[in-house]
Amino acid sequence: MPLVLIFAFLAVLAVAGYVLGRRRALASADGNIRALHSLPGYYGWHAVVMAVIPAVLALAVWLIVQPLVIERQLSGFFPPEIVADDAQRTLVMADVRRVAAGLDVAVAQGALTADQADRIRTEFGSVRDRLAEVGVALGAEVTPQVLAAAQDYRALAAAGGIGRTILTIVIALAGFAYALMVTNKDFRARNRVESVVLALLVLASTIAILTTVGIVLSMLSESLRFFTMYPASEFFFGLTWSPNFRGNSELGLAPLLWGTLYISLVSMIVAVPIGLFAAIYLAEYASPQTRAYVKPLIEVIAGIPTVVFGLFALVTVGPFLRDWFAQPTGLGNSGSSVMTAGIVIGILNIPFISSLADDIINAVPQSMRDGSLGLGATKSETIRQVVLPAALPGIVGAVLLAASRAIGETMIVTMGAGAAAKLDLNPFEAMTTITVKIVSQLTGDTEFNSPETLVAFALGMTLFVITLGLNVFALWIVRKYREQYE
Amino acid sequence: MNDMSTAEIAATTAPAKITARNVQVYYGATHAIKNVSVDILDKAVTAFIGPSGCGKSTFLRCINRMNDTISVCRVEGKIEIEGEDIYDRRVDPVQLRAKVGMVFQKPNPFPKSIYDNVAYGPKIHGLTRNKAELDEVVETSLKKAALWNEVKDRLASPGTGLSGGQQQRLCIARAIATHPEVLLMDEPCSALDPIATAQVEELIDELRSQFSVVIVTHSMQQAARVSQRTAMFHLGELVEIDATETIFTNPSHKKTQDYITGRYG
Amino acid sequence: MSDIIATGAAVPARPKNSILVEDKLMKKRNAAEARFKAYGIAAIAISLATLAIMLWTIFSDGVSAFRQATLTFPVTLDAAKLDPQGARNPADLVKVTTVGYGTLLTTAFRAHLQEKGVSTEGLDDKAVGDMISKAAPAQLRDSVLANPSLIGTTKDISVYATGRIDGFLKGRVTMQTAERDANVSPEQLQLADRLREAGILKLQFNSGFLTNTDASDQRPEASGLGVAIIGSLYMMALVALMVLPVGVAASIYLEEFAPKNRFTDLIEVNISNLAAVPSIVFGILGLAIFINFAGLPQSSSLVGALVITLMTLPTIIIATRAALRAVPPSIRDAALGVGASKMQTVFHHVLPLAAPGILTGTILGLASALGETAPLLLIGMVAFVANYPAGPLEGGVMDPATALPVQVYSWAARSDPAFIERSSGAIIVLLFFLVVMNAIAILLRRRFERRW
Repeated sequence: MPLVLIFAFLAVLAVAGYVLGRRRALASADGNIRALHSLPGYYGWHAVVMAVIPAVLALAVWLIVQPLVIERQLSGFFPPEIVADDAQRTLVMADVRRVAAGLDVAVAQGALTADQADRIRTEFGSVRDRLAEVGVALGAEVTPQVLAAAQDYRALAAAGGIGRTILTIVIALAGFAYALMVTNKDFRARNRVESVVLALLVLASTIAILTTVGIVLSMLSESLRFFTMYPASEFFFGLTWSPNFRGNSELGLAPLLWGTLYISLVSMIVAVPIGLFAAIYLAEYASPQTRAYVKPLIEVIAGIPTVVFGLFALVTVGPFLRDWFAQPTGLGNSGSSVMTAGIVIGILNIPFISSLADDIINAVPQSMRDGSLGLGATKSETIRQVVLPAALPGIVGAVLLAASRAIGETMIVTMGAGAAAKLDLNPFEAMTTITVKIVSQLTGDTEFNSPETLVAFALGMTLFVITLGLNVFALWIVRKYREQYE
Repeated sequence: MNDMSTAEIAATTAPAKITARNVQVYYGATHAIKNVSVDILDKAVTAFIGPSGCGKSTFLRCINRMNDTISVCRVEGKIEIEGEDIYDRRVDPVQLRAKVGMVFQKPNPFPKSIYDNVAYGPKIHGLTRNKAELDEVVETSLKKAALWNEVKDRLASPGTGLSGGQQQRLCIARAIATHPEVLLMDEPCSALDPIATAQVEELIDELRSQFSVVIVTHSMQQAARVSQRTAMFHLGELVEIDATETIFTNPSHKKTQDYITGRYG
Repeated sequence: MSDIIATGAAVPARPKNSILVEDKLMKKRNAAEARFKAYGIAAIAISLATLAIMLWTIFSDGVSAFRQATLTFPVTLDAAKLDPQGARNPADLVKVTTVGYGTLLTTAFRAHLQEKGVSTEGLDDKAVGDMISKAAPAQLRDSVLANPSLIGTTKDISVYATGRIDGFLKGRVTMQTAERDANVSPEQLQLADRLREAGILKLQFNSGFLTNTDASDQRPEASGLGVAIIGSLYMMALVALMVLPVGVAASIYLEEFAPKNRFTDLIEVNISNLAAVPSIVFGILGLAIFINFAGLPQSSSLVGALVITLMTLPTIIIATRAALRAVPPSIRDAALGVGASKMQTVFHHVLPLAAPGILTGTILGLASALGETAPLLLIGMVAFVANYPAGPLEGGVMDPATALPVQVYSWAARSDPAFIERSSGAIIVLLFFLVVMNAIAILLRRRFERRW
């Protein structure tokens, strides 16, 4: 039974549960609502919860476990050396799945009968060609083992599908029956329902943690796989980046890290003074009317997708810098450059810095300004010597957060920085960043078993650690300074 | 009441440091100060008293144009310091405030070291030529504010780390370091405990020898203790101004009488 | 207070200046003041000018994507060629390939030129035929297959001219560039001029830009945003379906029920840190977990939606908690006071009052999710998708699709400058959706703004 039908069944059962649970509770109290422990609706909901939730959980577990079990079953088709090697096993299993899916499509389109699909043999002609006819493209000819495994896979999957359906329906019916059985006027339906709801709320709030765990685990495991194929020391300390999908790659982090930091530095040189001065003007000088118009306008910049900035870098800023600065000074011929990406990321970060700094400056108590103005300081002296020092912790925090955003920015560097990994000082040269290389190593049809692909996970891990470190550091600085002034 | 003040002022003999004539202050549509005329004497402490919201603080803030920082506030009339109109178009409020210093209700030391707090004014006004002179100014000012002995060993620690009374004396030291001619104090003791209040009051009494001091206060006793002249405000108007002794023993207005005897406030 | 007596007289007194005269130092200080203020104005001017330049370039580059050079001429759909059997049997009709339709089109085109007296001097038949887009035969074929009764009739049809001719009409292609261009010759451009005078070639509103699927490098004129818009729509619908319940549930727990302990601290720290994780990291997560581990189909809107949900969740939780916090405690006390359980209080009283705020926050969160590009590149949504995904009930969310911002990126990466126009045009569509979503959020906020 397809999943949609299972869910439809559960939905019907839920409705029935609600109606019957409610009715049964009322009946047990002879229609007198006041004799019930909870409102009748709670008895209905109790039946719904009992019928649906255990069944859905069981279904979820089954869906996760089934592929693992099938994979273990199928390993019998292949020589142990393939099964033992992680990379090869993944590759073969992917082939099996693809052929099985191809057979499914062929059956669905009527190119093969179900029976034929089970009996087709490589000896009778090219399976690849047969599948190509129905629009399933396979990279290489199908080996007999893979075909046999694929046929077995289909059989197991079909059996699994039946088992899954039976299990789900049985559990659902059992929960349904249990709920109706316990329903009587003294049953504390509300408490039961509320504790289930509370459990769901807790579950929802742990998703944030699961996401972090998922990020760390997925990147860690793939990074470790990468380090079994490529020495970690060469990754972290290598000075050359030249991936080569035929082997002999040099995958040194240094040029990417340099490009990332250089571009971020340029972006901060653009964003910090502009953002800060804009914030100072808005907070200290602008009239309320000006502020009401200008502040939202500046924040519009933050609402524009980064890919738009990427196109701006590619089409406008890059050629402009090349024609007016790089070529006349003889510094370079490329529209993509550290400057292009840096300036555009800087623009992107202006509203980020200015709105954070604006909040922080506004939080500095007015009495502090009065104290300085009362001594005969000018407004700018007050701002520079009293307001900014008082706001410094928050501003440092904002700047570090902006730096972390610049380091993690992807689209603008992908479109504006270039793809050449080099250790260079010339800001008009194209350079590349960690994020650009993550994108370029992971896009396209790649198998996840070569160091050239897996390096992306190690790069991702590096990026994650750097940005997380910056964020934590930013918050720590803010706290430390706050304590000093409290 | 206008005719009153002219007569009162005529009775004083010492030269006026500040003369205010027909001052009106508006906060948007609110008429906060109504036609106040007052003379403030040099080398004397003048106290402004009156119930809350009577405009005494507002008027005080007019004297060094701190009201300029509030965009809806409008001031009319004339305030002269030594014959120069402070609301003249040519006047830079910054220069004025160097001459007329201010100490606020809540101690507001800057987030800097004690030394830098005091050195701030002399630095921005270019009063000293070198570090030695600046050290000298800081030391003198802290001594005048009776704080030197308590902080001389920790001049580099943040001013925000001092106790409330010490902070307020630091703010006074900061104000006198710029060598003002007039010192405005807006309820300088309202945030302080009695011991700190006593210290600050004693200090105010001593400052009188060098400055013209104007103090806004809620406390009748304080006005009686520190001031030579007292002005009574009510609902934005000046009720009367006279020698402190006269105000407290023989006020000419019933409102003043009621206020100082505690009928309202 | 003996300090005063000890005061030395060495402190230099302040010079007694008139406040009416600006002294030298004051002049300097005022100049510094003016400079400082000017920096502020300059900073704002630079930000706003950059914003204006960016939007202006995008709009001026992109607005022409909505207009396309089309050739209009009569075509006789010859039954002998299109349906030799004459049975109108679909199986037979399918056998006529696009090549057959292509010949039909070019012949009809040349005949029409001759009839109208438009000179094709200096151009061979092929060069004249090449004025028509390579996508045109397929479009004609599709419309005939959809409506076989057209066969045998003569009909005025409008087909796309090739991208170069389109570029010529829009000023992107000139005689000079054509001389160096293998895809177009100056003679063809001259013919285009004559065609324009004859009224055969003109720029028309191009609804295909919004409905067509993507097209290959050689046919920029036929490419459209259809799949991208559907993909983005699927994703946003799924994200809303997933992020709203989970986000609200998590916020309710954290704001209303969570005890103050290490576990909830951990969740709080997690949420604020997740909000600052670079988006591409979520792409890696999606690739590793949803595609490699769970085996969900690459390039599908479902995986895109899952990734974006995880990415948007922290933002939604932060906004929702703010909305819940804005409901005053007095309302909770009142409900608890009449004997409602904590759960009833939250669901019957607090949540309805916070709903407008939650909705506003969610819409704004979705708006920023709509523009998200980087993670989608990693889960394969950048691939060339030539077919519409199936309907939502037929499992269309599992079909390969792309998304608006990704389409912007993949067009910008192509070599033909015609795609830059398309890319900018796609941004206009994207910004249109963003403006609409933000406007709805602002209206909601205005409509339901409540102050306690």
